[in-house]
Amino acid sequence: MSVGKVGRLMVLVVMTAFVVGFSWNLSYADGKGIFASKNCGSCHQIAGPAAEKTFDDQLKKKGPELWYSGSKFKSEWLRGWLEKPATIRLLKYNSITEKNSEKHPALSKKEAEDVADYLMTLTAKEVTAGGVTEASTPQGKNLFVKRYGCVGCHSIKAGAQKAGGASGPDLSEAGKRLKGDWVYAYLKEPKVFKPVKRMPIFVGIINDNEMKTIAGFVAGQK
Amino acid sequence: MIKRIFLVITILIGTAAFVGKGAVFAATAEENYKFYCAQCHGLDGKGEGVNAKPKAFGIDLPEMSVTPRNHTSSVDMSKLSDIDVQNAISDGGASVSKSSIMPPFGKTLTEAEIKDLTAYLRKLCKCKGK
Ligand code: HEC
Ligand code: HEC
Ligand code: HEC
Repeated sequence: MSVGKVGRLMVLVVMTAFVVGFSWNLSYADGKGIFASKNCGSCHQIAGPAAEKTFDDQLKKKGPELWYSGSKFKSEWLRGWLEKPATIRLLKYNSITEKNSEKHPALSKKEAEDVADYLMTLTAKEVTAGGVTEASTPQGKNLFVKRYGCVGCHSIKAGAQKAGGASGPDLSEAGKRLKGDWVYAYLKEPKVFKPVKRMPIFVGIINDNEMKTIAGFVAGQK
Repeated sequence: MIKRIFLVITILIGTAAFVGKGAVFAATAEENYKFYCAQCHGLDGKGEGVNAKPKAFGIDLPEMSVTPRNHTSSVDMSKLSDIDVQNAISDGGASVSKSSIMPPFGKTLTEAEIKDLTAYLRKLCKCKGK
């Protein structure tokens, strides 16, 4: 073999190693890696528990917590939303005066699937499956709208329109997004999921059965 | 040298943990008002927060069916005793035969915070309770 041939062979070997290494990397660039490389963690808390104690702790956050995503979201919704994000909170995050007109970063279909699969592995032990029946019942509506005034801060569908408050996340299609069991846990364990928020604590005000009915109603909105 | 750095770090962490623990979260009445009440009653207390008048903030939702109390109105606010006000804040509108859209904050705020808020409302209306 001449020196030139050896040289060319080496170039080939190095290039092959590079390409193989690169695709190996790609196949391992799973949801967790995408989440890190896109800097999603700069706005979203990914490891629990909740640590906020003061208004300031909450007000300096740039986005909602994702450390219990697997307990909170329906995975089909999550995949779809990450690819085509649409407004959930009508007001800018943490604001009560400014409209939310920010465009959330979007992912490709494949990335969205990988990131959703990763996020769905993050769960909270406080959420147990099976206690809540997801259904938009008249009892649930009565509690949500009349009895406990949830509608003062959250919008739901009212005929062809929407009605209700704007300071809390829009719940008009909450059933596509949220698991009923999580909504119940959120009402029942306010300190675990969101210790500092503009929504009042209802533990000791709404009894357990009613809480389940309301949670089912919220998760019945589609 | 290494030992010394270690000692300094230990002391720093120790102090940080101690300070962190010592700081109890106590919000002033004004801070509580702006965080909780303003979403309906407005930052200025006139009853025109975003939930009451979403369109004024560019949001396409109808106005609230019951107008939140204008806390700067001495006419309206002087009709309520301090106890009425405290009950409304603690147990919600329904507890004082008003709209349940006024939510209960008794499990969210301490009794002392509710008293402070009542005093803050008296400053807003520049009025006394009946
Ligand atoms: C600049 C800050 C910022 C960055 C960066 C960001 N997000 Fe978000 N994210 C937000 C805000 C604000 C919302 C709330 C949007 C809404 O309610 O309409 C949100 C909402 C979400 C939600 C829905 C959460 C819920 O409770 O409704 C998911 C899931 C999410 N982001 C994932 C991601 C992923 C994955 C990335 C990285 C590709 C990312 N975000 C990057 C700010 C950010
Ligand atoms: C005073 C306003 C207010 C009232 C009343 C209120 N909420 Fe909320 N709610 C909020 C706000 C603000 C948030 C968002 C908290 C955050 O993430 O910072 C929220 C969050 C939620 C969430 C979680 C949504 C998500 O995607 O993270 C659910 C579920 C919910 N509320 C249900 C209810 C129910 C049920 C009631 C009545 C029993 C109720 N709320 C009453 C303001 C309110
Ligand atoms: C979800 C919206 C909402 C929030 C949040 C809210 N209020 Fe109200 N508030 C109302 C409405 C609506 C009324 C009027 C009720 C009526 O006239 O039937 C009201 C009435 C009142 C009244 C008069 C009660 C009476 O007997 O006439 C007081 C006092 C009051 N609110 C104080 C507060 C304080 C203090 C806070 C914050 C801790 C607060 N509110 C938060 C909606 C709200």
